[in-house]
Amino acid sequence: MKTKIVLACCLLLCVLRADAQGSDTAEANAQGADTESTHAGYVPVVSGSMGYVYNVNGSIPTLEPQINPVLLIPFGSHVLFESRTDFTGIFEHRNGTSGDYTGKVYKTVEFVQLDWLASTHVVPVAGRYLLPFGLYAERLDPLWIANLQDIPLDFSIGTQTTGAGVGPQLRGVAVETPDLNLQYTAYYSVHNNVTQLQSSRTAGSDVSVYFNSARVELGTSYQRFLDSSRINNVNRQVDNEAVYLTWQPIPSTLDVKAEFDHSYTGRGYWIEGYSMLSSVPVATNFFRRMQLVGRDEQFVPLHGGGNGLPGIEEKRVEGGFNYYIRDDWRLISSYGRQFNSGRNFNLWNLGFTYRFVWPLGREKKSQ
Amino acid sequence: MSIPMNKSLLALCAALFSLFLWIAATVPSVGAQQPDQKPKQPPTQDQRGERVFDNNCARCHRPPMTIPPQATGTVIMHMRVRARLSSQEEKDLLYYLAP
Repeated sequence: MKTKIVLACCLLLCVLRADAQGSDTAEANAQGADTESTHAGYVPVVSGSMGYVYNVNGSIPTLEPQINPVLLIPFGSHVLFESRTDFTGIFEHRNGTSGDYTGKVYKTVEFVQLDWLASTHVVPVAGRYLLPFGLYAERLDPLWIANLQDIPLDFSIGTQTTGAGVGPQLRGVAVETPDLNLQYTAYYSVHNNVTQLQSSRTAGSDVSVYFNSARVELGTSYQRFLDSSRINNVNRQVDNEAVYLTWQPIPSTLDVKAEFDHSYTGRGYWIEGYSMLSSVPVATNFFRRMQLVGRDEQFVPLHGGGNGLPGIEEKRVEGGFNYYIRDDWRLISSYGRQFNSGRNFNLWNLGFTYRFVWPLGREKKSQ
Repeated sequence: MSIPMNKSLLALCAALFSLFLWIAATVPSVGAQQPDQKPKQPPTQDQRGERVFDNNCARCHRPPMTIPPQATGTVIMHMRVRARLSSQEEKDLLYYLAP
């Protein structure tokens, strides 16, 4: 019932704002005359990221080469086909901490979707999409974006069971004023067992408001997991909720993000921040490319945990330095300490990431 | 090791959340418009594009300034969906990244 109400509210907002779109655009045009961009139109593009991470979890070292190509095929300026596939190798010592490295490469189709950029207020999406829950899954997960390579402890809340949904989705800007933007996403996912396209039956929404002058975003996600989950020998339909905040007092230089997640099987929070060290008065050319990152997080299981979440209380503190050789090449390093009731252990990450954008096809100006 | 997460921790989270809001509301951000005696000029499309980048793209990632011009239109279509940009923001951002 809650889900239906949330979906109905989102649709109502779309309808109410639809008639205002024309006037918004006219107002924006009145602020300054638009000039035609010199971009070369809409050509197919392969983008994405690749990287290599040496990870130590406890005393177990793992080699993780990764590549996540994104295929973008536009049909004119209003329809876009997009797909991302993740290839991640997991290689560990044959005997845990000694012997040669052995392992395999895992392939995952993360999303395959068709987007119709119908208007500012309504962008229908169909296909397999990333579940828009909280900040991390849809926005911060790509290899070249993530400031720390370890995903948050409560990442599985709202991303069960594969991190993706299959079905329809609506998203867009519900309200746009000079002071704030209200953005929304609403979706319904079917249960799907097709290889590489598996998903669970879920419905949910994400709404966030961004205050332009303060550079603060407040958001909330809600998801009803409609496939029954077997928890403590009882079939349950689980509700997942998240609230999150982002703040960029100095864009691309100082950034703070925080999220609190809650589910039937656990709750947790994380707070992450980064600062570019551009204000260090010595070796400025070096330090302006250096990023200091930190994250604090905690997870507490409820009703025994499980469903992809830890079964015991966990706390983790992580910090690191990333160095941007260029805006697309980055060296990464981090150290963390994880605490739980069983044992405490260290987390290390060393490696690099590279973001690529390769246009395919010939330049062609679109009208 | 016991790691309690009870009502007091939730209250602390709520207090931190409120603190962020209060700071954000009272401290002017770098680049935010200051009181000015001169009459305001409407922002150019390039300035609007930069503002779109700072207010949307920079929430998640740093500026990718090495996008080939041929790919910019398609990449920004992708980002319009991902970042839930308006059509006007898409145009301004396109002009900013591929003037």
